Amino acid sequence: MPTEYSVMGLFTDENRAVSAIEAIKDSPWQLRRVNSPIPSHKISDALELKKSKVGYFTLAGGITGFFSGFLLAAFTASQWHLIVSGKPVIALVPFFIVGFEFTILFAIFGNVMGLIHQMQLPEYKGLEQYDPRCSGHHFGVTASCKAQDLEGLKLFFQNKGGEVKVISNGPV
Amino acid sequence: MSELTFEKIDQTVLETLKPPDRSYWLTVGILFLGVLTGAACWIYQILTGLGVAGMNNPVAWGTYLINFVFWVGIAHSGTLISAILHLLRAGWRNPIARAAETMTVFAVCIAGLFPFIHLGRVWMVFYMLPVPNQRNLWQNFQSPLMFDVVAISTYLTVSSLFWYTGMLPDLAIIRDRATGVRKKIFKIISLGWTGAHEQWRHYARGYLFFAALATPLVISVHSVVSWDFALGIVPGWHTTIFAPYFVAGAIHSGLAMVLTLMIPIRKLFHYEKIITVNVLENVAKTIIFTGLIVAFSYATEFFMAWYSRNPLEVAIFKYRPTGDYAVGFWIMVICNTMVPLLFFFKRFRTTILWLFVISIFVNIGMWYERYVIIISSVSHDFIPHAWGLYSPSIIEFGIMIGSFCLFFFLYLLFVKHLPSISMTEMKEAVGQGASHAD
Repeated sequence: MPTEYSVMGLFTDENRAVSAIEAIKDSPWQLRRVNSPIPSHKISDALELKKSKVGYFTLAGGITGFFSGFLLAAFTASQWHLIVSGKPVIALVPFFIVGFEFTILFAIFGNVMGLIHQMQLPEYKGLEQYDPRCSGHHFGVTASCKAQDLEGLKLFFQNKGGEVKVISNGPV
Repeated sequence: MSELTFEKIDQTVLETLKPPDRSYWLTVGILFLGVLTGAACWIYQILTGLGVAGMNNPVAWGTYLINFVFWVGIAHSGTLISAILHLLRAGWRNPIARAAETMTVFAVCIAGLFPFIHLGRVWMVFYMLPVPNQRNLWQNFQSPLMFDVVAISTYLTVSSLFWYTGMLPDLAIIRDRATGVRKKIFKIISLGWTGAHEQWRHYARGYLFFAALATPLVISVHSVVSWDFALGIVPGWHTTIFAPYFVAGAIHSGLAMVLTLMIPIRKLFHYEKIITVNVLENVAKTIIFTGLIVAFSYATEFFMAWYSRNPLEVAIFKYRPTGDYAVGFWIMVICNTMVPLLFFFKRFRTTILWLFVISIFVNIGMWYERYVIIISSVSHDFIPHAWGLYSPSIIEFGIMIGSFCLFFFLYLLFVKHLPSISMTEMKEAVGQGASHAD
């Protein structure tokens, strides 16, 4: 007999989902996850989410990119010491252009790596505790509770106007 | 748009992914034949030599470079619509963003082929890559052509990643409604996306950075393309106005191509409630704006030639409207600057047929703009006895037709296999708070 259950409340109305989230925060139940078809500021505010750290990866990529691009151009020029159009061998303006393009390229690589790292993708196990309707028009609010509170949690979601789905019968 | 619900958006877009009928495959087949024609012409050129193209002395840059600049230009408005308008929170971009981003990816791929074709000995292409080699040969990064290699490859990489990242939530929607092998494929490519709040938190931030980085990139890429010309001392090219002029022209042509692509798709896939006339009207209004910038640039070039009293500049700007390529020049002026002015009248920018016809005129005009800039200047530069004429050979025509077929071939494959409208962004545009089911 499991000691804990996860229950998902499925709402077609974003405001009701937000209301359920707010109520769960003041309850003995544990809010596990919210799945939504769109990014929602109301849900983010209700969950009091912190700002993502993806930007640090992007910044690190950009800085690495600028120096990689500039130094690559400088290194290749220094191999021959040819004067082109009267410019110095290590010419700042043209090499800055190469540095700029590399900045963008590496910043995007950093951004993608940051997204993969922070979102922990690819992650196919999460699909087991997920309802496909959440990619359509439902907002899924998942909370966990003790075995004796299961009926209470189900009733709570029903009272909030949601459809109830017990998604895990095992311990969470 | 107020009639739309989340369910209706999903239904409308997913309907387009159902197995196509014979007419679709017939069109795809015809386009594939066009692609094969282009490939055959290229193979013939490789086997025979670059002499089979119409390029000569002094016109060593012909349709290959014209098409390169044309396709890079087409690629630009995809990023404009998806990145710049995203940052500006322009809601009308949402229905056309995905189609425009896809256009960008395919157009950059095709643009990237033309320098290879133009090289002649295409197997030497690795000379442009900074790969250590036994002769210690390195690229000259002071050359605008090397700027181009770096800029275009960055643009292709960034726009492809932007496109895929933007599509991730939509791929999950398809996965959740597909069955069999299709479900397995979409499960893999959607990377296990569930729309969990933790995922959205990072995704929204990451997407914003994508848009913020793509915006300066898009401006830099066509500036770099313009410097291929402007850093040469050829009359008609050596001017500081080229970078902004090329960027405006690129967006002008890209927006026109968005209309050319979206209008048939809207009709075929019954997207009328998603891609409303209002959306198309906003594209038309932007075309007026870019058309006026292009007109101002044309006029400024002539003014600068006259004001500078430089005899070579004066000569080339007399030659363009009256010389051997005058027809191309006037097609360029009429199609790019005069025809778009029709969009000042509401009837023209709200009538689908007119929108489509005018977009075709702008596409033609923008191709001729590159033709006039590239050909007229090198065929008529400094010394009269070195002047010459250029006309594309049948091989060049074959490759050009092949490139257009390849673009539409890839696009047709895309619209039947991946979501051509961003369902997630449409849902965001429809609004949050109301009940989202029917």
